[in-house]
Amino acid sequence: MTTNEQVDQLNRNYVCPPDAGPAWRAACDYGFDMSLVEEALKMTEEERLIDHQRALNRLLQFTSDEHASTE
Amino acid sequence: MSTLLQNDEELLERLRKHEVDFVIVGGLCVAIHGAPLVTKDVDICCRLGTENLRRLESAVKDLHPVHRMTPNKLPFELDERLCQELKNVYLRTDLGILDCLGEVSGIGNYDDALRLSVPCLSGRFRMLTLDGIIAAKEAAGRRRDIEAVYLLRAIKEKKRNV
Repeated sequence: MTTNEQVDQLNRNYVCPPDAGPAWRAACDYGFDMSLVEEALKMTEEERLIDHQRALNRLLQFTSDEHASTE
Repeated sequence: MSTLLQNDEELLERLRKHEVDFVIVGGLCVAIHGAPLVTKDVDICCRLGTENLRRLESAVKDLHPVHRMTPNKLPFELDERLCQELKNVYLRTDLGILDCLGEVSGIGNYDDALRLSVPCLSGRFRMLTLDGIIAAKEAAGRRRDIEAVYLLRAIKEKKRNV
């Protein structure tokens, strides 16, 4: 059974950890999803490169599809 | 050539195998440092001059390289004059876009970039340090650069506190 606390967690936006410094909070306030940064920092550099390549491929595919649909 | 293809790692590997002197800068450097931003090209700062440019030419010669900024997409074919006078080389290849910069704003030339670099990707390449890429992005000053600086500063702070 889902608890009220779980529902609250699921509905909540990213919350800066209590020990977050001013630069982290500034990036968060600017609007970045800092959970993505937290995930990236847990990866190795190789994994980040692969992750970046996947994101780029998706972007290029999307751009290509958009271009094709307007022709 | 497919308009979809951009294979950053293979491009970098080719440069390494052909012993091109270069440092990864720009958006890819930002991404390797951990910022979840996507860039459509590979930016490197490289040593200018005949020897290194000839190595660059060898590294990409079978990839149909063209000067992507020129209206007629001139083929990337070096002669002595170009080796002496090129300041930057903006290429489109079969593996994607490769921008080779003789100087980087906020950093300087290749030797300056090298001094401000660290090994990356299992030591295969070198990229600007966090402080280096922050300085470069601050100097570039475009909106997307400033956005990257927010993330890079946050990452620097996080690493300092770990």
